[in-house]
Amino acid sequence: MKNQMDEDTLYIEQFLGGQEKGFEMLVRKYQNKVLNIVYSLIGQDRESEDIMQESFMKVYKSLGSFRQSSKFSTWLYRIVVNTAYDFMRGRKSFISNTEALEMSVAPCAGPRDLLLTSEKEAMVQIALGNIPLKFRAAVVLKDIEGLSYSEISKILGCSIGTVESKIYRARQFLKEELLKFKGV
Amino acid sequence: MEECAKVKKILSRYLDQEASSADTVLIKTHLDNCPFCEKEFLELSRAKELITGKEIKALPPDYLVCRLREKIASQRQDSQEGFPWLAGMGNLSRRLIPVPVTAVLLSLALLILTSQQSTTSYSLEEDMLSGTQTTTATAAGLILGMQS
Repeated sequence: MKNQMDEDTLYIEQFLGGQEKGFEMLVRKYQNKVLNIVYSLIGQDRESEDIMQESFMKVYKSLGSFRQSSKFSTWLYRIVVNTAYDFMRGRKSFISNTEALEMSVAPCAGPRDLLLTSEKEAMVQIALGNIPLKFRAAVVLKDIEGLSYSEISKILGCSIGTVESKIYRARQFLKEELLKFKGV
Repeated sequence: MEECAKVKKILSRYLDQEASSADTVLIKTHLDNCPFCEKEFLELSRAKELITGKEIKALPPDYLVCRLREKIASQRQDSQEGFPWLAGMGNLSRRLIPVPVTAVLLSLALLILTSQQSTTSYSLEEDMLSGTQTTTATAAGLILGMQS
């Protein structure tokens, strides 16, 4: 953990010293983590990439004012979640059931197992999308990114108790949603 | 039943290995003896596994860096051309800017012309000599003053 923070601090200092390479190293390091968080939140591929780009543009413009009192990743994920929230407020619909299940159909014939895996993936994504947004981010940050309750509380700006409650409620929703799908 | 309610409240925390040592012991003991809470725990575990087992998306390492470079370069160009406020606008918004600007200029021109026509028309010299301030006379005076 300390090494990760030192690495991020080094990249930030490089960037603030005028080397764009520092920012690019941060982007390369976090792009897939951010992509998976956003995709799990909104369920749309192209829009996920747009939100990811917008988040990093915000980081680029305000990295100079990042106090480094918290971890860079905490600050980054806060920007990412807020950017995704802004998008969701503008677009009420998550990925529709039809879109998700269409994604599971392979363009060419493939092994049955792969197809079943894709269908399962689509079902999980649909179920995630039916979790109310206010609970979704907490469970995504916990189960996709593996963050601690403490880190999630800093990202979402709420108490650890609230994080626990959100995660619990999200899992209750998920449990109910997944019961609708046989064999999941 | 009371213990079930207490355990259910912290079951998620236990599942996430965030429970205290004391709570962990309490929950483990309770789950060993309560099939209902055990079932609830297994269902929550299953829900968690499905999310943690989700397909991880991965982009080529330089994918986003390339996109950001283009975006940053484009915004820098906009700000260097003397329109920093353009940098934050989308392409469509920028193309539409001349429309309201033109409309405002035309309206101003029309207003000036109609206000000029509503007064008795004097020659420019007469305007200036009379001391009556008109827009045309003022502008002419300023220009002539600057030229001398």
